[in-house]
Amino acid sequence: MVIIAIIIGCLVGILVGMNTPIIPYSMSGYLAISIIAALDSVFGGINSSIKGNFDLKIFVSGFFVNAILSILLTYLGERLNVDIYLAAIVVFVGRMFNNLGYIRRHYIEKWISRKNKEEKNTNEKGV
Amino acid sequence: MNKKNQVAITLGLMCFILTALIVVQVNTINNANSAIGQARNENDLRDEVLKWKEKYDVTYSNLEKAEKNLENLRQNASNNDETTKQMEEELKTANKLLGLTELTGDGIVITLEDGTDLIHQEDLIYVVNELKNAGAEAISINGQRLVSTSFISCDGNVILINGNKIGTPFVVQAIGYPSTLYGALMRNGGYLEKLQDIGIKVETKKVENIVIQKYNGIIDSKYMKVVE
Repeated sequence: MVIIAIIIGCLVGILVGMNTPIIPYSMSGYLAISIIAALDSVFGGINSSIKGNFDLKIFVSGFFVNAILSILLTYLGERLNVDIYLAAIVVFVGRMFNNLGYIRRHYIEKWISRKNKEEKNTNEKGV
Repeated sequence: MNKKNQVAITLGLMCFILTALIVVQVNTINNANSAIGQARNENDLRDEVLKWKEKYDVTYSNLEKAEKNLENLRQNASNNDETTKQMEEELKTANKLLGLTELTGDGIVITLEDGTDLIHQEDLIYVVNELKNAGAEAISINGQRLVSTSFISCDGNVILINGNKIGTPFVVQAIGYPSTLYGALMRNGGYLEKLQDIGIKVETKKVENIVIQKYNGIIDSKYMKVVE
């Protein structure tokens, strides 16, 4: 169910994105950082849905607050001539890898336990 | 079940926003004229260079065709008349001496390649000078014909000849009496020996029927006038 929703969302997103007018080049830096924030949120959402503690309010508020803070940081960095947005990217990407690690571990453990069960079954049959 | 639906819809919506943003961003970057990275910039420049090169090649082949046409027309015109025939001969000789025609003849080919030391423009100048001293009649380096206005100069890590960039290995072709040319360059204590000693790969061969390209540029004069 979740996977189907993600795939449909991606396909519709591509279609809509193709038909959306482009944004000014100077704004693309802000859009880029919000893309990273959204990506981080998606991974976080998948992770929490696997763990079973998904909360809509936390998810949505997390996305908006993260995106707004990172955009503000980018703006501040531009004013101060320091690439602060790099810090936001480091945090987001680091979290993405963490979340991906949890997701990966979850599915590998599931797979291994299933395999073990099958082996048990065949062994019992063999005996 | 309700909770699961909620998760699915939220994540789907999130992915929708995400992919839409990514596509918009990619479109924006692709459309932006100002390059974001140096690599992109360089690739664009490379493309442009290739385009111009192709244009140049096409134009050059057109020019060659036109010159052949002109030659034919001249020959046709001079077929009838004795004086024009003579003038045609003179023109041919003049062009030959100026370097405006492709030439063939016996001579030597020297190949100089960077070894432990690099080849500098002085080395080429010395070699050309020795060749001229030994009676070379036509010289070209990497296809660049040396004519009366030719110069050899340094341009960073390449060498400019007639304003064209050439790089190692340098193939120097010279038409003249092969033994004299060979002897002059390969003599003991000669310049090529010195080059070999400092670690440049030198190869000299006597070759029959070398073909030397004509000069591609224009020989022009602005200040000199014939004394009346």
